[in-house]
Amino acid sequence: MKPSLKHFFDSMGSYLARPGDESLQRLYSAHPEWRAPSTRVSIYGDFVRGHIRTAVEKLFPLLRGAVGAETWNALVEDYTLTRPARHHEVNRVGEGFPAFIADAVSSRGLPPYAPALARFEWSDFAVFASQAAAPEPVERLTPNPTLVVLEQPFRICAWVRARGQGVTREPEAGDELALLWRHPELLVTYYQEATPPALLVLKMAVEGLSAPEVAAATGMPEADILDAVARLSRDGLVLAPPA
Amino acid sequence: MVAMTYARRHGLSPLGVGIGLRRSFYEELPRTHRTLDWVEIIPENFLSLGGRSQRALDACAERWPVLPHGVGLDIGGPDALDEDYVTGLAALVKRVDAPFFSDHLCYSRLGGVYLHDLLPLPFTEAVVEHVVPRVREVVARVGRPFLLENPSYYANMPGGTLSEADFLRNVVEEADCGLLLDVNNVYVNARNHGYDARAFVDALPLERVVQIHLAGHTTYPDVIIDTHGDRVCDDVWSLYRYVLARTGPVSTLIEWDQDIPSMEAVLDEADLARAALREGAGR
Ligand SMILES: [Fe+2]
Repeated sequence: MKPSLKHFFDSMGSYLARPGDESLQRLYSAHPEWRAPSTRVSIYGDFVRGHIRTAVEKLFPLLRGAVGAETWNALVEDYTLTRPARHHEVNRVGEGFPAFIADAVSSRGLPPYAPALARFEWSDFAVFASQAAAPEPVERLTPNPTLVVLEQPFRICAWVRARGQGVTREPEAGDELALLWRHPELLVTYYQEATPPALLVLKMAVEGLSAPEVAAATGMPEADILDAVARLSRDGLVLAPPA
Repeated sequence: MVAMTYARRHGLSPLGVGIGLRRSFYEELPRTHRTLDWVEIIPENFLSLGGRSQRALDACAERWPVLPHGVGLDIGGPDALDEDYVTGLAALVKRVDAPFFSDHLCYSRLGGVYLHDLLPLPFTEAVVEHVVPRVREVVARVGRPFLLENPSYYANMPGGTLSEADFLRNVVEEADCGLLLDVNNVYVNARNHGYDARAFVDALPLERVVQIHLAGHTTYPDVIIDTHGDRVCDDVWSLYRYVLARTGPVSTLIEWDQDIPSMEAVLDEADLARAALREGAGR
């Protein structure tokens, strides 16, 4: 690459890393002969910053609502400065956001549940877009290959569900094991707390246990076990072989 | 009329009119009863995302030719080509058996960071020299004909010594690739930079045009932004006809990516383009 071209990219690189009046002025001083109107050049700074904001806002709508507009704006600005777009797929800019939020909780006075909520929202997308494909058909009861398990100190699942019903109080503190997976036919993310039946059915899938075996070992009625397997297969948490 | 030498050389014939497989169409498009000749995909939406996008792609590929049109190849950037990206792109092109694929004559990555924008390059010989071997590398790795699109740009980059048309010509001729002529971009650039759109078209190597893009834009007091957020305007339709009169029929895409009223509205625009193509062929 010719030095003049490298100089061009270097100067654009410093401007686009932190678009603003000062960096724009520095860009122009790097090219004294350049006559393009600065209002036109700054369009690119706005665009580049805007793409990160748009992606993050689409991925974390609940967190955005929870922290309020002013805090949110500052968070996105500072996150953008970490240059998170290392992947060609634009949604991947959100991958590092939960860790960024976890680091920012005390310094910015974010609600204590913010990191768990951010992780939940990222997982919601990651599961939705997961490249793990469900084998079709399965030969025996199989855990959904897109399943993600989150261990968190807030009851995020209940809170997200309640929000859907118009309740807006904060998530309650308390240990939660959240399960998120992509429904094999609808291809949308399902989530729920890991209830005893859900854990039992997952254990059956992972260890290849049959309903009679589980009934014998636990004393649970076999019909209840079969019921749970049928319900959670319909929800896609586990994949059942064709009847 | 100019012979379409690049297309002929590669055995490519005009495919008619396509629309983009955008997220909001994933469920609807594969089932449409409307006329559609081919589908364009943004490879970045399919290279690393599973689930709905893959199901939609497979369903479309069963019905229509699929043409990948990238935004992240970064053909003009200073970073080495992204190995992962190019490998994935090559696999995708083969998977959908695309007759050709395309991206933009721009840069989109600096210092390993994707800027997720199509950033303009200075119109210089140094850039031509830089881009040409990169195009050749991509074509060698993907193994299908490749087109570069003329991007929209809002400011001339510093140090330019070539006209925009010469810059485009030098790149596509020296790299021996095709040209994806975005007619809306020509219109937007002509308005933003005060030049004559038809004279610009006349100065292009039209024998390399293998595909055309038509789109809407947004007019602000001091600039027109290439938003792909509206219907194609009358001036762009007439510029399209002007191009077709010189190229003959060319595979044409309606690009509508923002404020999409409905898939039906996009297909209505595609019908208009198909009528213009037919009208052009009947002259
Ligand atoms: Fe285009």
